[in-house]
Amino acid sequence: MFKEEVLKEIEQLNKEYEANVKRVLKKFSTEEKEVKTLSGLSLKPIYTPLDIKDNNYVEDISSPGLYPFTRGVTPTGYRTKEWTIRQVVGLGTAEETNERLKYLFKQGQTGFSVCGMGYQPYESSDERSFGILGKGGVWIDTLADIETLFDGIDMSKISINQIGFSIPVFAMILAEAERQGVDFKNLSGTIQNCVFPFGEGPQMRGNGSVDISEYCTKNLPRWNHASISVRNIRDEGISAPQEIAFGVYMGSFTLQSVMARNIDVDEVAPRISFFLSSENDFLEEVAKFRAMRRLWARTVKERFNARDPRSWLMRFHTQTTAINLTAQQPLNNVIRSTIHALAAVLGGAQSMSVNSFDEALAIPTRASATLSLRTQQIIGHESGVANVIDPLGGSYCIESLTNQLEQKAVETLKELEDMQPQKAYQYIVDQGKEAGYLRQKAIDNNERAMVGVNRFIVREGEEGIDLGNTDILGYDPVWRDKQIERLNRVKKKRDPGKTEKAKRLLEDAYRNRINIIEPMIEAVKAYLSIGEIVEIREKVYGPANLGHVWGCYFGM
Amino acid sequence: MESNKKIRVLLVSDSPGHATGYYVVGKGLREAGIEVILGGFQIPPQIVKSAVQEDVDFIGYRIMDGAPEILVPRLVELLKERSIRDIQIIVGGIIPPPIVPTLKGIGIEGIFTPGTKISDIVDYVRGSVTPQVDRLKFRL
Repeated sequence: MFKEEVLKEIEQLNKEYEANVKRVLKKFSTEEKEVKTLSGLSLKPIYTPLDIKDNNYVEDISSPGLYPFTRGVTPTGYRTKEWTIRQVVGLGTAEETNERLKYLFKQGQTGFSVCGMGYQPYESSDERSFGILGKGGVWIDTLADIETLFDGIDMSKISINQIGFSIPVFAMILAEAERQGVDFKNLSGTIQNCVFPFGEGPQMRGNGSVDISEYCTKNLPRWNHASISVRNIRDEGISAPQEIAFGVYMGSFTLQSVMARNIDVDEVAPRISFFLSSENDFLEEVAKFRAMRRLWARTVKERFNARDPRSWLMRFHTQTTAINLTAQQPLNNVIRSTIHALAAVLGGAQSMSVNSFDEALAIPTRASATLSLRTQQIIGHESGVANVIDPLGGSYCIESLTNQLEQKAVETLKELEDMQPQKAYQYIVDQGKEAGYLRQKAIDNNERAMVGVNRFIVREGEEGIDLGNTDILGYDPVWRDKQIERLNRVKKKRDPGKTEKAKRLLEDAYRNRINIIEPMIEAVKAYLSIGEIVEIREKVYGPANLGHVWGCYFGM
Repeated sequence: MESNKKIRVLLVSDSPGHATGYYVVGKGLREAGIEVILGGFQIPPQIVKSAVQEDVDFIGYRIMDGAPEILVPRLVELLKERSIRDIQIIVGGIIPPPIVPTLKGIGIEGIFTPGTKISDIVDYVRGSVTPQVDRLKFRL
């Protein structure tokens, strides 16, 4: 990118600079410290053109909207489309969640994202839901709950994100869209789906995740049939290059698995999206998003020979890191999340959820959820950073970090590709556990700073600024009673003949290992509960192994 | 406790998934020479059964998705019903500050919220220090 003689001059200049640094260090009688990013990359005190002299602007950086998309997936960035403000919601029954959603939409939220749907493989009346139902997300038993969840929400006007990949819930969302009269061709959204290695034969029959993607490529052109989630494992403590490598590995595995059903790469790849974290190390994070965009583009184009430019795009949703939020001095989390969110915006996120400051204490209140929304709006409307596309691109430091992260990720990716898929997935899980422990140790021994925890601690009874009583959202045990009553009401209203027929048809579909999505839509339309659907599946397949899907009933 | 007997802890969680803290605590206790049985997601009746079967000294209950004010008293009650007095409960995870006095009121002293050092839990299990959790107010 730079002429030889210019580089020589810069080299000379750098020598002068280094001499200056030595002088200053001597004056302060100190030595140069080794400084590293959160992921362990060495950080120099300054970066110069020498650090990116091997970069080719056209091949490695390029313009936004052009291969390899380092600078962004569209030519116009946020100038033509703001990122989607998509705060996660999920509390109580469908009623409480619907109410919170409608409130947030009124406040300017632009996307739908709900957690908790179909995570558990049993009905609300099961004793396992005692003390849990409605706390870590909304509870869904039947289509009637999804109807309530979307009450007053026009599915043709928003994009819908389904957290997790419960197939009964996905079918319920589609059934609700049909009821609302929205053509599937116009239905816009994402399912947090990712293919894990199980199923029969090379086409992985019986693997519901592949079924989801296969169905979507044929029927839902505007639906992201996969959203490769590496956010949660990053939030266990793995590094930025691992987040990139694991994401690209899982994305590639998903792509391959769907292609094995005789679907062209350019029909599958354009609707694979990603779900990433945004961690503490601001500069490294901005570089991470850029590096991953480049690596995904290169992988899909060069390895999978995709021809359609839409296939090469890594579009992503970010949920800011939660593990770095503290229960101590909780208002500090507002500042933390703002920095995390800013990194995601400068990294070119398509969609974002900002964690609330009280999440280390309880489920976010309406007030703290609003503040998360406002955080995004202030960055978007006031700070001016959204006016320039990839404004940190071209920074010697950011470009150098982008190169290093991509390179490290490529090494890890190679290691993963050399393993059997089951082994690779297990390796990813194990790395998460190990990283979580090392991260905690680093906090415990003060190597990793955490304000309020191992720095600037204020203990109870010591002088500190008292901000009054904590406003905390409590758990309402009535949610469970109400939900059980709803389920009973729905079951009473069902036509027993139709219910039995629906059960039989679903059982046949499972038995024949056909794509499960269409039969599932019919089953949920007959108001079978998720608990009943799981029973039918277990009749055919035996008890499900949920170990690989975090114990949740996903992809089945 | 006899000094030559290793302390045994059953670790359980109130939901599957998002288990970072659970694994961190498990590994931290093990490294400190404490025996840890990873029980995974269990509901209170199962927890009691596992604790008895495994003959543990402590039940470490990680709570994140559930309501500690419902789940922990339920566990205490079930232990009482079976007249089990030699198993202590320790609780960790997302414990809303207003719930802390409720748990203390039913005799739970080992309450570990985010920000806890691994060594705090180890010390508590070894019987030396009771953790402080009185974060009822927002402070800066």
